[in-house]
Amino acid sequence: MKTYIAQRLGIGLLTLLGMSIVIFGMLRLAPGDIVDILFSTGGYVNPVERVAIEKELGLDRPVWVQYLEWMRQILTGDLGKSYRYDLPAWEIIRPLIPVTLELAILSLIVSVALGVPLGVISAVRQDTPLDYALRVFSLAGLSMPSFWLGMVIILGLVAWIGWIPPVTYVSPSENFWLHAVQFALPSLAVGYRSSALIMRITRSSLLEVMREDYIRTARAKGQSGSVVIWRHALQNAILPVVTVIGIEFAFLIGGLVVTETVFNLPGLARFLVEAILWRDYPIVQNLVMFIAIVVIVSNLVVDMLYGFLDPRVRYGH
Amino acid sequence: MRRSRIVDAALSALAVLAAASLASAETPKSGGHLNLMQREDLSQGFAVHETSTIATSFPSMPCFNNLVVFDQTKRAETVENLVGELAEKWSWQDNYRNLVFFLRRNVKWHDGQPFTSKDVKFTFDMLREAPDAPAKLRINPRKDWYTNVEAIEAADPYTVVFRLKRPQPGLLVMLASGYTPIYAAHVNPAAYRTGCIGTGPFKMKEWRKGEFVDYVKNPDYFMKGRPYLDSLRYVVIKERGTRTAALQAGQLDVSFPGETTKTAAEQLKKAVPGLVITPVAQAVSDNIIMNTKKPPFDNLKVRLAVSYAIDRKALISAVHQGGAVPGASQQPKPYGVWGLLEKDLGTLPGYGKIEDMRAQARKLLAEAGITPQNPLKVEMSTRAIALYVDMASFVINELKQVGIEANLKQVETAQCHSMANRGEYQIGDNLTGLGVDEPDANYYENYACGSPRNYSQYCSEEVMKMIEQQSQELNPQKRLALVAALQKKVEADAARPLLDWRLDYFTVWPYVKGMVPHDNIYNFGRMADVWRDK
Amino acid sequence: MATRPLGVEAASVSLGLRRPGAWTVLARFCRKKPLGAIGGLLMVVMFLTAVFANQLATHDPIATDAGQSLARPGPDHWLGSDHLGRDIYSRVVHGARVSLIVGLASTLLGSVFGGIIGLLSGYVGGKTDLITQRVMDILQGLPLLVLALVMSAALGPSIPNVVLAISIPIIPRAARVIRASVLSIREMQYVEAARAVGLRHVRIAFRHVLPNTMGPFIVLCTAQLGSAILVEAALSFLGLGVPEPYPSWGRMLSVSAAEYAQKAPWLVLFPGLAISLAVFGSNLLGDALRDTLDPRLRGA
Repeated sequence: MKTYIAQRLGIGLLTLLGMSIVIFGMLRLAPGDIVDILFSTGGYVNPVERVAIEKELGLDRPVWVQYLEWMRQILTGDLGKSYRYDLPAWEIIRPLIPVTLELAILSLIVSVALGVPLGVISAVRQDTPLDYALRVFSLAGLSMPSFWLGMVIILGLVAWIGWIPPVTYVSPSENFWLHAVQFALPSLAVGYRSSALIMRITRSSLLEVMREDYIRTARAKGQSGSVVIWRHALQNAILPVVTVIGIEFAFLIGGLVVTETVFNLPGLARFLVEAILWRDYPIVQNLVMFIAIVVIVSNLVVDMLYGFLDPRVRYGH
Repeated sequence: MRRSRIVDAALSALAVLAAASLASAETPKSGGHLNLMQREDLSQGFAVHETSTIATSFPSMPCFNNLVVFDQTKRAETVENLVGELAEKWSWQDNYRNLVFFLRRNVKWHDGQPFTSKDVKFTFDMLREAPDAPAKLRINPRKDWYTNVEAIEAADPYTVVFRLKRPQPGLLVMLASGYTPIYAAHVNPAAYRTGCIGTGPFKMKEWRKGEFVDYVKNPDYFMKGRPYLDSLRYVVIKERGTRTAALQAGQLDVSFPGETTKTAAEQLKKAVPGLVITPVAQAVSDNIIMNTKKPPFDNLKVRLAVSYAIDRKALISAVHQGGAVPGASQQPKPYGVWGLLEKDLGTLPGYGKIEDMRAQARKLLAEAGITPQNPLKVEMSTRAIALYVDMASFVINELKQVGIEANLKQVETAQCHSMANRGEYQIGDNLTGLGVDEPDANYYENYACGSPRNYSQYCSEEVMKMIEQQSQELNPQKRLALVAALQKKVEADAARPLLDWRLDYFTVWPYVKGMVPHDNIYNFGRMADVWRDK
Repeated sequence: MATRPLGVEAASVSLGLRRPGAWTVLARFCRKKPLGAIGGLLMVVMFLTAVFANQLATHDPIATDAGQSLARPGPDHWLGSDHLGRDIYSRVVHGARVSLIVGLASTLLGSVFGGIIGLLSGYVGGKTDLITQRVMDILQGLPLLVLALVMSAALGPSIPNVVLAISIPIIPRAARVIRASVLSIREMQYVEAARAVGLRHVRIAFRHVLPNTMGPFIVLCTAQLGSAILVEAALSFLGLGVPEPYPSWGRMLSVSAAEYAQKAPWLVLFPGLAISLAVFGSNLLGDALRDTLDPRLRGA
C-alpha cells in the first residue's frame, strides 16, 4: 500500500510539473500582457514608460528565467506578487479559498443527496414511467448551462419578489442565516447539475449488481426485497459511485466559474477569470496549480478509496 | 360664518406640522450607511493619476480633495459653479498667466499629517513631469494637460502659484476634474495603488479585492458638520444582470455613473416606481477612429464618406435606444458649454436626410476611385465589449449601404491601445471620456499632433494653430466662436467623426438625498453632501 | 456501421445468419430506447436547422432595426427581438449552426485525436503507454472550462481558436476511454488468434481492435458533444468564445440579455432553451447508445 501511495504521489508531482510548463507557456502565448492592460486603463501607450514597467515587474527577462524564478518561488513557499494589485498573491488568494471550497463541498453534498436516492429509485423501478421521468429530470440538470440557470433564478427572484440573495459575501460568523441563504441557491444550481452523473452511475451499477447471482440467491432464500437491495446491492455499488464523485469534484470546479460570476460570490473561480483577462501571471499560474493540486489529490483519494474498497485493484498492468 | 375655535386650532396645528415636515425634508440628517454600485474592481486602486477610468476615479472621490471642484450640489459644470476645497480663494493674475491659490489651513491628511502647499507642488510637479520632480508616476495619462505650466511656486505653506508659459484661462477648470486630486507629498505615489491617504470626507477602511471598498467618516474633515454619512461601501458586481437586480432589490442604493441605459431605467422605474432617475449627460462620446497614416483612410474623401454614411440619429435610436444626443467634438448644449447648437449640427455630415447623406458618401467614394466594381474592403476593429460590438455592428451595416464592406474584428482590451498606437488597424469604433468640459483638455488629448490619445494619428498644422489660439483667448465670447469653428473644422476633416454623446439615467433610491449627478461622470461623487432620509 | 457485442456477431457469422438491415436496427432501437429516440430526433432537428439555417430564418440574423428594439414575440418576430432589433428566432436558428459546428468540430477533433492516442497507447503498452498516460494526466488535471478558458485567452477570439480550445481538453478524456476499451479487447481470444496466425500488429490494431472500440467511441462522442456545446456557451457568455458577428447562443445570454431581461424575458429564455435542448438531445442519445452498445450494461 505504501509503495502505491508513493508511486501515485511521485506521478502526481510529475504531472504537476508538466502542467506548470503548459500553463506557463499558454499564458505567455496570450497576446498582450499586464503592461498593455495598465496602459489601456490609462488610455494611451508610451514605449519608454513601457520598458520601465516591464523591468520593474521582471517581464524583460528571458522566458525560461521567469519560469525558473516561479519554480524557485513555489519551492520557498512564496507565491509572488500580483501584477494588478501589487500585493502578495497568497494574500489575495487566501480569502477566496474557503468560499470556493464551501461552495464545492455543498454542491457535492447536494449532488449526492439528490443523485443517489434518485438513482436507487430509478434502478428499482427500471423502465417504468417513474424511471423515465427521473432520468429526464436528472438529464435536464446536466443539459442546462449552469450560468443560465443562475441567471434565470436571480432575474426571476427580483422580478417576482423584488429580492435577491445578498450580493456581498456574508461570512457564517457574521450572519449564519443570511450566509446559508446566500450559498443555498448556487449550491443547488451546481449540485443539481452534478447529480445527473451520480444518479446515472448509481442506477447502472445498482442494476448490474442486482442481476448478480448472489442477489438472486438471497432473494430465493426469502430475504425481504428492500433488505436485499439496501444491504447487499448498495454496498457493492458504492465503488463506482465513489469514483464518479471524485471525477465530479473536478468537473464541479469548472461549473463554479460561471456560478460564482452570476451569484457574485468572491471565490477562486471567478477571480481566475478576472486574472486571466488582466494577464496577472502570478495569480493565474498559482491559482491554476492550486486547482490542479486539488484535482490530483481528490483523484488520489478516490483511487485509494477504490483500492481500499476493492482489493483486486492495484496500480500497473 | 364664524369658524369654531377647534377648527382654528386644528388648522394652525396642521400648518405648523406641514411647515415642520417640509423643513425636516430639507434638513440633512447625520448618520447612516450607503451602498454604491461599482461596475468592476478598481483598476489600480486609488491611483487616480495613473489611470483614465471611472472604475478608479468614482470610488476614489470620497478619499480625496482637489484645489477646486464643481459644486457637488449643482448639476452644471461651469466656472461660476467652481467651489474651493483645499483652496479657499484663488485668482488669475497678469492676464491669465499666473494662477494663485490661497490654501485652506488646518486641513489634515488621513494619517494626521498637516496639508500644506508642499503637497500641491509635489502633485503637479509630478504630473507635469518637471525635471526636478521628487516623484514619478508609472503611467501618466494626463501629462499633456500641464504642458503650459512653466513652474509651480510654493513660497509659503498656504500659497501656491502656477506660472504659465502663456495665458491659459482653461487651466482652472481642468483642476476641478475628478482626475485632479491632490496627492500627499509624504506618501509614495505607488502606495495609492493599494491604499488611499487623502484629505477627503471619508477614510478608506478596507478594500477587499474584487468585492468592495469600505469607507468611514473622516471626523477631522475641514468642512464642519460634513460628511453626513457614517460609512460608504462600493460593491463590486461585474455581472450586469446581477448588478441591476441588486439595485432593484435595494441592496444597492446608488447606481454607477454611466451604467444605466434608458431601457434599464425604464425597467427599474416600472419595478420600483419610487426610484429617483435623473437623466444627465456623461461627457462620454462615441466616435470613429481611422488610421490616417495608411490607405484607404489617409484619403480625406474616404474618411468623409464614412462620416456621411453613418446616420447619427438612427444610431442613437438603435444602439442607445434614444439614450444619447448628437453633437460634435464638444459636448452639446445644454449639457456642455462649448457644444455647437442644433442648427449648426444639421450642416455636418451624418445629420441630414439619410438618402442625401448616403448619396454624398457614394459621390465622395467615387471621387476616391471606389465604385461597386472596385469596392472597398476594410476591417473594423472593436473592443470585445457588448456596447462597442453593438455599435460596430451598426456602423458596419451603415457602411455597407454606401459600398464599404467592413468585417468585424474583435480585439481584446489588453491589445487595443497598443494596436492603435502601432497603427495596426484600419477603422474602429471608440469611446472618449472627457475629464472636464474644457476644450484644452479635449483637443490637446485627442486631436493634437503626436498626442498618444490621438489614435487616428491625425495631424494638421491648421488645427494645431486653432487649438493654440482658442487656448489663449481671454474673451469668453470670442473663445466660444473659436471653439465652434474648431469643432466644424475637425468634423470637416473627418479626423475622428463623432457619433453621439451618451446620456446616463442616474438612479438612486428615494431616501438618498443630496446626490446630484453632473453632466460629466468623472467629477461628482465626493459624497460629503449626501445624506440618508431613512 | 452498427456494431454488436462480439459474441452475437461471432455466433451469427458462424451460424450463417443474415445481419439485420439498418432500418430494422433503427426501429428496434426506437422501440427499446424511446428516450434515446427522442434524443436522436432532437439532434436531427438541430442538425437540419443548422444546415438549412438560411432557409429557416425569417430575417438576417445580424441586421439591426432600431424601430423594432425589444419587440415582443409576434407575427413579425416569432421569438421577439433584442435591443438592437435583431430577430431572436433567426439568431437562434443561425446559432444552431455555430454551436453545432463548434461542438462537432471540437468533439471530433478531440475524440479522434485522443482516440488514436488511446488506441496506440493501449495497444502498444509498456513505456510508451506510461509516458502517454502521464501527458494525458497533465491535460486532464484541469477542469474542462478552466483549460478552455486559458486556451481561449491565449489564442484570441475566433471560431477556429474556440474549436481548438475546446478540443484539447477532450483529447485526454477520449484517450482514457478508448485505452480502457482497447485494454479489455486486447486480451480477447480472437486477437490472440489473429496474432497466432501471424497478422501484423498494425493490422490487428486497426482491423480488429478498432472496430470494437467503436461502441465506446460513439458513446464518448455524443457525451462530449453535449459538454462541448456547454463549454462554448460558457466561454461566449464570459466573452471569450465565438466572436461577433456570428450569433452564438452563449453570447446571446450575456450582458445585454441580462440587462433587459425583465422587460424582455424572451432574450434570456430562448437561447437558453436552445442550448438546453441541444445538450439534452445529445445526452439522451448518448445514454441510449451506451445502453445499446456497451455489452456490460445491456438489459437482460
